[in-house]
Amino acid sequence: MTPAPDTFASRRDTLAFVICLLLAFTARVAPPTAQSAASDAIVHTVLAPFLYLQEQVEVIRASRSRYLATVGLRDSVLARAMAVEGLELENEQLRRQLELSRRLNVRHVSAEVLQQALPTAGFMARLSAGRDDGVRPGSPVITPQGLFGVVQSVSSGQSVALLWTHGDFRVSAMTLDGSVFGIVAPRGGGGPNTMLLELRGVPYQQEVPVETMIYTSGLGGTSGVYPRGIPIGTIVGVGEEQEGWSRTYVARAAVAPASVSHVVVLTGPALDVQQAFAETPSGP
Amino acid sequence: MLRLDYRLAGVLLVLVVLHFVLRPFMGDLRVAPDLLLLALLVYAIQARPGDAAIAGFVIGLVADALTPVAFGAGALAHTCVGYLAAWGKAVFFAESVPVSAGFFFAGTWLRDLLVLVAGRHLGDRTLLWQLAVWSPLKALTTAVAGVLALMLFRRWLDERARA
Repeated sequence: MTPAPDTFASRRDTLAFVICLLLAFTARVAPPTAQSAASDAIVHTVLAPFLYLQEQVEVIRASRSRYLATVGLRDSVLARAMAVEGLELENEQLRRQLELSRRLNVRHVSAEVLQQALPTAGFMARLSAGRDDGVRPGSPVITPQGLFGVVQSVSSGQSVALLWTHGDFRVSAMTLDGSVFGIVAPRGGGGPNTMLLELRGVPYQQEVPVETMIYTSGLGGTSGVYPRGIPIGTIVGVGEEQEGWSRTYVARAAVAPASVSHVVVLTGPALDVQQAFAETPSGP
Repeated sequence: MLRLDYRLAGVLLVLVVLHFVLRPFMGDLRVAPDLLLLALLVYAIQARPGDAAIAGFVIGLVADALTPVAFGAGALAHTCVGYLAAWGKAVFFAESVPVSAGFFFAGTWLRDLLVLVAGRHLGDRTLLWQLAVWSPLKALTTAVAGVLALMLFRRWLDERARA
C-alpha cells in the first residue's frame, strides 16, 4: 500500500492538530457533569447502534458458552433451595422471638459488561442496564464470585460502574463471623496476574489468618449500602502494621474484572441499617 | 477537511463494526486487538496529518465515552497518535509488511502510554505492568490484525492510493 503523496505536514495540518489538542485538553479538564453529559450524548447517538450490536453478540455468546455451566448451577441451586423454605420459617420465628423487623428484600437486574479497549477499561465498565431497569447511582454490582463494583452514573439504557480496582473504591468489610471489621480499598498492581486489595484499619490485637474470606459488612458504601455478606476476597498476608494500633491486611479479590462479561446489579431500595435493627412492637 | 472515498470508508466501517462484534469473543480483553485504533492507523497511512489528527480526536472521544475513567485522555492520545502516524508514515517508512506491523505495534503502545499519562495513572505500579506486559501484548495482536486487514483489503486500499 502506497501512502498518498501529499502527506507531509503543512501549516493547515499543524493548525488542525493544535486545535484538536486544545479541544481534547478542554474535554480533559471540563467539569465531571459536562464530561458525563458529553459521554452520554455520544453513547446514545453515534455509538448506540454499535453498542446494541455488541450487547446482542454478547448475549448470543453467553447463551452458547454458558448453557452447560448454567444447567449445573441450576441443579445445585435447586438442591439448596429445597432447604430454604424451612430455613425461612426458622428465621422468621427467631426474628419474632428476638423482636427484629423483617429481613429486607433485595431486587436485582442482570446486565452485560460492554468491555472496551482503552488501558483504563479495568477501572470502569459500561453495563447494559440503566435507569429504565431500576439501576441508580450507588447500586452494588456483583458476579457469582463476589463484589465487582458499584454503579457510578446511569442513563436511560446503560450505566457506568466503578470497579473495585479504581482508586476511589471503598467498601466496609468483615470476616464471616463478624469478629473483624475494616475498610477495603484497592492496593494497586502487584503483578500481571494478581488482584490485590487492602483490608485497612483492623485493630492490632485482632489477627486475621491467611485464607480467611472477607465479605461486605452491610455498613457504609459510596452513596448507599452494600448488602451484608457479598464475598470481596481472601486474605493472603499482612501488609503494613502500625505498631500497637492497627494492621493492614492484603487480600486477593474474588472477582477478576477482565474476565467478567455478565453481572447482577442490585436495585432494591437503599438498605436502612437503622430500620433493619429497629425493634418491632412486641406482641401480647 | 476530511477526504474519504467509499473504498477506504468501507474498510474503516468493517473494522469499526468488527471491533464491537468480535470483542465478546476475544478472551482476555487486556490483550485483545484494538480495531478502533487500527481503523485510525489505516486511515492515517493514507491521510494528511491534519486529517488524521481530526480523525484521532473523534475516535478518541468515542473511546472516552465508552470508558469514562479520564474523559479527554483518549482524545488527547488518539489525536497525537493520528497526527504522528500520518506524518511519520510519510517521512520515514517504506512500504512493507514488517514495517506496517511495527507501525501498528508502535502506534498502539504509544496510545496506551499517552492515555495513562493523560489520565494521571503514573504513580501506580499498574502503569509499569500495563506498559511492560499488557500494552505490548495488545500492540502485538493489533499489529497482527492490522497486517491481516492490509492483506485482506490490499486491492481496495491500493486502488485508493493510486487514485
